[in-house]
Amino acid sequence: MTTAPFIQCRSLTRAYRKGATVITPLRELDLDVPAGDFVALMGPSGSGKTTLLNLIAGIDRPTAGSLIIGGVDLGRLSAARLADWRAASVGYVFQLYNLVPVLTAYENVELPLLLRRMPSRERHRRVALALELTGIADRHDHYPRQLSGGQEQRVAIARAIVADPPLLVADEPTGDLDGESAAAIMSLLVRLNRELGKTLIMVTHDPRSAAHARRTLHLEKGRLVADDRPNAEAAA
Amino acid sequence: MARLPLDYAVRNLGRSPLRAGLSVLGACLVVLLIIAAAGFVTGMSRSLRASGDDRHVILLGAGSEESIERSEIPASVGSLVAAAVPGLETSMGVPHVSAEVHVQLPVRATPDADNPRLLLIRGVTPAAMLVHRSVQITEGRFPRAGHDEIMLGSAAPRQLGLAESDLAVGSTLWIDKSRWTIVGRFAAPGTVMQAEAWTALTDLKAATKRETDSCVVLALGDAEFADIDAFARQRLDLELTAIPETRYYAGLASFFRPVQAVVWATALLIAAGGLLGGLNTMYAAFSSRVRELGMLQCLGYRRGAIVLSLVQESLLAASAGAVLASIVGLAMLDGLAVRFSTGVFGLVVDHTVVALGLAAGLALGLIGALPPALRALRLPIPESLKAA
Ligand SMILES: Nc1ncnc2c1ncn2[C@@H]1O[C@H](COP(=O)(O)OP(=O)(O)O)[C@@H](O)[C@H]1O
Ligand SMILES: [Mg+2]
Repeated sequence: MTTAPFIQCRSLTRAYRKGATVITPLRELDLDVPAGDFVALMGPSGSGKTTLLNLIAGIDRPTAGSLIIGGVDLGRLSAARLADWRAASVGYVFQLYNLVPVLTAYENVELPLLLRRMPSRERHRRVALALELTGIADRHDHYPRQLSGGQEQRVAIARAIVADPPLLVADEPTGDLDGESAAAIMSLLVRLNRELGKTLIMVTHDPRSAAHARRTLHLEKGRLVADDRPNAEAAA
Repeated sequence: MARLPLDYAVRNLGRSPLRAGLSVLGACLVVLLIIAAAGFVTGMSRSLRASGDDRHVILLGAGSEESIERSEIPASVGSLVAAAVPGLETSMGVPHVSAEVHVQLPVRATPDADNPRLLLIRGVTPAAMLVHRSVQITEGRFPRAGHDEIMLGSAAPRQLGLAESDLAVGSTLWIDKSRWTIVGRFAAPGTVMQAEAWTALTDLKAATKRETDSCVVLALGDAEFADIDAFARQRLDLELTAIPETRYYAGLASFFRPVQAVVWATALLIAAGGLLGGLNTMYAAFSSRVRELGMLQCLGYRRGAIVLSLVQESLLAASAGAVLASIVGLAMLDGLAVRFSTGVFGLVVDHTVVALGLAAGLALGLIGALPPALRALRLPIPESLKAA
């Protein structure tokens, strides 16, 4: 028996109209990602990686084709429903962390939980757990400016997982970090995939980061040109 | 809709203490201006309203209904009306009928002082004290006839721009070319009379070389306005018009309505300037946060929740400024005497004026934040995440 893939893209297309010209960063892409997979998206700059990631994260909408995640057809949701879907279903990790400078690490991680009704004890428990999992609990009362890049990214990852979404997306999460911090962040992401079973889609330029993924997709000019599964045996 | 915590708005204010400080100060100045304008208009209207008594009637020269100062009536009118109309208010047999001369004259503290200011001099008989009940002699006494004596209202020094010490009881004043002695001071709170000088009717007529009176003010008692009106209409030879005192001052108030409109227009124009400044500040503040606002939407916060938080931030600054302005307004503007052609009156900063100021402050915070907030959220999320 085959179950439906967690993420299902069919002829997924994103186009921008600029006057008379139409730019199509993503062209009729077909893709299935099973739950619990770890996919690296690679390709030259401008090949459509971020475009695909943003569609999967529910912050952009397809121009054509369909995108179904966890049985939900994202193209059919209203803007408000899509916002609710994001809050429940996806954690976004940015290259530049995007922490709120006026909030402490703890308060930054707490932000997604304020979107749902929850006793404050439970909220506190979850924030503490997320900070613990990402190894940044000792800095919970620090402001972003008091943290290193690697530490900021840990806080950002804690924020992405605190609401326990099944899906994590990351756009060049180590792109702004030195080699050592990058390696530490990568092993954290791998643990989130292996131990917590998060489905993880990650854009990266760095082959060493991509090597941690179970599967690497290569995009070029908005089309999928290669789909490598070096670790396929491990997943199978 | 899940909201962002208020704390987030509060702390965002702290991102730039300078900007927050300027926002509070700007809102404070705009609200203070609106409180001053409202206080001026309220004060002027109230002093004109307080000056009229609905049981008083003024007899004026026909055709001079708009201005007592321009009116001339025979000196006999007072005694004629008292004899002709039964039921007028009396005290110990004296009817409450006050024949008066109203004239604006230049007043100096010394005979050679430059730029004398005009003061309304009211020539009266002792009956004036019976009719104008709000007048209380606070010092000295009522002027006697035949001695060029004068009694000053409490706001007269301000009207003249002279120090209280120059106008103490016993000192002299130069009205036109003649010398007068100050024998008393009186108060008439909230009315135009407090900015006048009163003197004996006969002395003022002698000094101004006139035979006629300006008007007769009387208290109706058991009589009705219709009785006085009938008297004025029957005595065609006297060429009189009777009008209720309240209507006379209401007429003055409507005469000054354009002035009030100009005061409002000026205040609103300056407030609009303040609003534009506030908009500009907020545009700059919010546009530097576009990426962060994109991130919040990424987390699942709706645009409405984010707009609300940005508006809260602006409202916090604006209401702090408005509260500050209300305190300053109450402490420093309320009762502040201003000189105007209606005489001197006090600015009125009452709860209506304060409420208006606070409402203006909130409107300022709301209108100042909404367009910049909507603009900061204008971009689609993917583009806002690319913002600097
Ligand atoms: N909002 C937009 N309007 C027009 N073109 C866009 C927009 N966003 C992205 N693009 C274009 O889409 C293409 C792919 O962009 P992107 O997905 O960001 O590439 P990358 O693979 O580097 O992440 C680029 O050519 C870019 O110029
Ligand atoms: Mg990109």
